[in-house]
Amino acid sequence: MMEEAASQLERDHVHSVYDKIAPYFNDSRYKAWPKVQQFLLNLQPGSIVADIGCGNGKYLHINKEVFKMGCDVCRPLVDFAWSQGHEVQMCDGLHLPYRDGCFDALLSIAVIHHLSTKERRIRAIKEMARTLRVGGRIMIYVWAMEQKRRKFEKQDIFVPWNPNPQSPTDREPAKPRKRATAQSVSEAIDNADKHRKVRSTSSVADEEELTCTTPQQSTQRLWFFSRSLDSVFDFGSLSISRSSSRDLSTLSSPTGENERNKSSHWGRGRGLIKQVSSFFSPTSVIGSEEDVFDSVTNLHKGQNAPGGNNNSPENQSVSVSLAQECGSLALPDLVPFQKEHLKQSSDESEGGLQGKEQHESTKSSQGSERQVEGSCLRYYHVFREGELAELIENHVDELLVKHTYFDHANWCVVAEKVQICKI
Amino acid sequence: MKLLTHNMLTSHVKGVTKGYPLLIKATEVKVNEVDFNPQFVSRMIPKLEWSALVQAADELGHRQDLPVELVPEYEKNEEFLKKVHRVLLEVEVIEGCLRCPESGREFPISRGIPNMLLNDDEV
Repeated sequence: MMEEAASQLERDHVHSVYDKIAPYFNDSRYKAWPKVQQFLLNLQPGSIVADIGCGNGKYLHINKEVFKMGCDVCRPLVDFAWSQGHEVQMCDGLHLPYRDGCFDALLSIAVIHHLSTKERRIRAIKEMARTLRVGGRIMIYVWAMEQKRRKFEKQDIFVPWNPNPQSPTDREPAKPRKRATAQSVSEAIDNADKHRKVRSTSSVADEEELTCTTPQQSTQRLWFFSRSLDSVFDFGSLSISRSSSRDLSTLSSPTGENERNKSSHWGRGRGLIKQVSSFFSPTSVIGSEEDVFDSVTNLHKGQNAPGGNNNSPENQSVSVSLAQECGSLALPDLVPFQKEHLKQSSDESEGGLQGKEQHESTKSSQGSERQVEGSCLRYYHVFREGELAELIENHVDELLVKHTYFDHANWCVVAEKVQICKI
Repeated sequence: MKLLTHNMLTSHVKGVTKGYPLLIKATEVKVNEVDFNPQFVSRMIPKLEWSALVQAADELGHRQDLPVELVPEYEKNEEFLKKVHRVLLEVEVIEGCLRCPESGREFPISRGIPNMLLNDDEV
């Protein structure tokens, strides 16, 4: 049951979001993390390395002496990586299509934080470990809860996607696939330059979303709390503090068209609520700490399922309180902030979300109060200090943690595959 | 999909124990020119399942005279390395599918990309 819920959450708030935002992943905000680059450059010539969750393949051009392949669930991103001459496959991190011990090294950069339960995150790490040869190394990057300028108050969050305000004219038109691949020396050098200048990508933008410097960008700085799918359902712990809601007060309308920019994310959020709430029942038994969907007891107390008429205030509050529990939407106490801001922002004309036309338009009139690109909310489980290393130490015997460090907004681990002697 | 990649791929359908190597049915194959790096090829060879490579090359009609068994001291054998280079890195399946030898499940290859995603009932 929880497995389905976890899967569905990831489908809605990871996979489908990346499908939508894939075209925007290639602008100049994105650079390869230097330490990841160094990890790749330090590999023995003749190594075979896989980037699990490679996205648009930003790391696949590094080090022409090693054979690289990548995989991802997002078709548009994988297509792009292919167009750059890389060997890529579609697959999902919980079921890797590679034989045991075939890789000398692996990358998992900003990937497993998109898995919505601890159990799935462990499975993903174990799957990668399976494909690593003994002595091989894996580098894992995940978003840190402790950021430079702020600390997330919760670990399970939704983060809206913020396109580059300058975008689409900056983007290069898609190039025809390079015939000779990055394996060839001269091409690799070309590619490397190209990548460094234009096409290099990374999760730096993610950090920028969180710790942006310009006032304009700060209007887009925002996240929503999500209920952890791992912990026992605790209504008391769901409130958002005022300090974080202050951020929401700078929320801007992506288009400045308050009237017409309906709460696409209400529609989406309601969809999530519907799906999630369908797993809840008043009679559920409280299970283990890991089984949140079994442990919710009173979510449905006196509430009708949302998803029907969006316009009535009663349904609004029903949905909102459900949303509060699911944490997928702005909380009602933030509405006043948003209203204030709407006045300000109605005069601004922003670059606008290029993907605006991709948003569902709903009929809800309260939508005008919800300006967030909700259909592009990405789910993250941000990691506490030490959490990733602990996860590996306690649950993945076949990996030995060699290094852990903090890199910009990420917790990072390098681990080595070890032989397990089963007696 | 290059054959070096194919050499690493396996069927991971639930319950399958003999999912390697995947059988290739190709409807479009391309041969590219890729710069020859003998050390690179030489270092790849120990990581390969050699018989799977030969079988795959055969399926594509590109085996030419690749031997069934690895020649001894191939590191210095440039002629041999060139043959391996061609088969590993220059031959590419653009369209077709990969078939699990045990379950028969077919994984499509389109636009050069194998789609190894499993359906819910296969995990």
